[in-house]
Amino acid sequence: MAQVDYPEPVKVLIAQLKRLPGVGPKSAERIAVWLMQRGREMTGPFSEALEKAGELVLECGTCGFFATAEKGCAICDGLGRDDSVMCVVEQPTDILPLERSGAFRGQYHALRGKISPLDNVGPEDLRIGELVARLKRGSYSELILALSADVEGEATSNYLVEVLGQVGKELKITRLAQGISVGGGLESVDELTLFRALEGRVGM
Amino acid sequence: MKPGITIFHGDNAQGKTSILEAMCVLLRLQSPRSSALADCILFEKNAFAIGGNLVTDAGDESDMRMQYSSGGRKLLIDDEMQKRSADYINHSALVVWMANDDLALVRAGGDGRRRYLDFMASQLFPTYRPALRAYDKAMRSRNFLLKRDASPKWPEIDAYTKILADQALIVTRIRRELLTKLTPFAEQAQRTISGRDEKLGIEYLSKSGENDDLAAELLSRRSEEYGRRITVAGPHRDDFTMVINGRPAAKFASEGQQRTLALALKLAQTELFLSLREQPPILLIDDVFGELDVTRRNALMNAWPKTSQKLITTTNLDWLDGDFSGAARVEICDGIATIA
Repeated sequence: MAQVDYPEPVKVLIAQLKRLPGVGPKSAERIAVWLMQRGREMTGPFSEALEKAGELVLECGTCGFFATAEKGCAICDGLGRDDSVMCVVEQPTDILPLERSGAFRGQYHALRGKISPLDNVGPEDLRIGELVARLKRGSYSELILALSADVEGEATSNYLVEVLGQVGKELKITRLAQGISVGGGLESVDELTLFRALEGRVGM
Repeated sequence: MKPGITIFHGDNAQGKTSILEAMCVLLRLQSPRSSALADCILFEKNAFAIGGNLVTDAGDESDMRMQYSSGGRKLLIDDEMQKRSADYINHSALVVWMANDDLALVRAGGDGRRRYLDFMASQLFPTYRPALRAYDKAMRSRNFLLKRDASPKWPEIDAYTKILADQALIVTRIRRELLTKLTPFAEQAQRTISGRDEKLGIEYLSKSGENDDLAAELLSRRSEEYGRRITVAGPHRDDFTMVINGRPAAKFASEGQQRTLALALKLAQTELFLSLREQPPILLIDDVFGELDVTRRNALMNAWPKTSQKLITTTNLDWLDGDFSGAARVEICDGIATIA
């Protein structure tokens, strides 16, 4: 006797869900069954939302953030932004926390990754050419590097400084400070961060 | 385990050393025998786990657990997950590892001496491990880039040179400081064990160029790197030399002097740990006793801290005498321990 399994459409759905980040076979099965049990009332709006997001959301050709054909890019087409500073981030999702901080109202550029030769990611895989072109086109006075503080992030920052040094002498390149997070006591800070925080201390 | 001495005995290849190594990995998250924890996984398996109870002199007891697989590792203290290995390690005890092949510290290449320094420095300086790890990663990336292209892309390579140089400075500074603190203890131990007024000199040899400026050194040796396609300078090539009465120990010391020196280095580590930390280190002694002559054996037993816990492996028990009457004994046979 053949082994009983889910009907084919459920199996296809599970297979698709399994491809999502952080979703294993067990979770995929649970989500699929949950969706099926709620029927069209649930799956209709869900598939419509999925369809629309896939169809309408684009990558902004300028900064790399999410955009739509209809409304453009909320950053590049936004009003009242400072066109003299640009902040470079790894992923478009890194833009939102910076925006929410309210401390920065300039332009952004998402590289879509960081240099990591051991994972086969080189400068040519990132949006560095676009960055150089933008800097040449515009009149930027400062470029802020807001990449992660690990080996790959720092290597990417170093590489950018090397490559962008030739773009223009007027361009000031800075990077984010490293130190103690606000609201935390010293006992929860690791020693290397403390070391950097001490090096970067400021007068009062 | 009992607080004092515990002796693990059994024939060769029964798992005695593995028990000591497991204790070392559980306490320090590194093996003195191998630089990659992945090497500790059984053949044909893909993970390992170790657990144990740590009781301090003050009587505080905690349950330590580590799980390791190719996917990552989990660290638990009293069932509480430790996100950062530094928190776990800070809670743990210091370890001194002694083994028969310690003689290689004096005789063989720089590899073993670097491992000796790394093992010590990681226990004493919290910034050391992250710096060494970042250095290692940057060097692997850099070497990969040097080999990848027919004509090396220097801007990409130099993005790593800077990181390498920054971390190298931390690694070299800590290793120098460590050796400076260690030398008087090593000298004292050498004199005590040999019973003679032997003068010991230890000198750190940096391969990072003038003033430890690794970036400048690598820039000046670019053509050599172009030819060899490998990072030609830096702390991964550093070493230290030992001189007895003005003569290099590796070449000119007698076999006896060399054995004494190897033991002196480990005793110095014990003394250094004792002087810098209040908690005495745990001594893991692998197969050393069967090989020691009476003089060195007595020197070792006179010098080791009375309060330290000592875990000793051995194949034969011939050397056991009254000094070990209070020792606990565990027989190891085919990976199974039987407490006598």
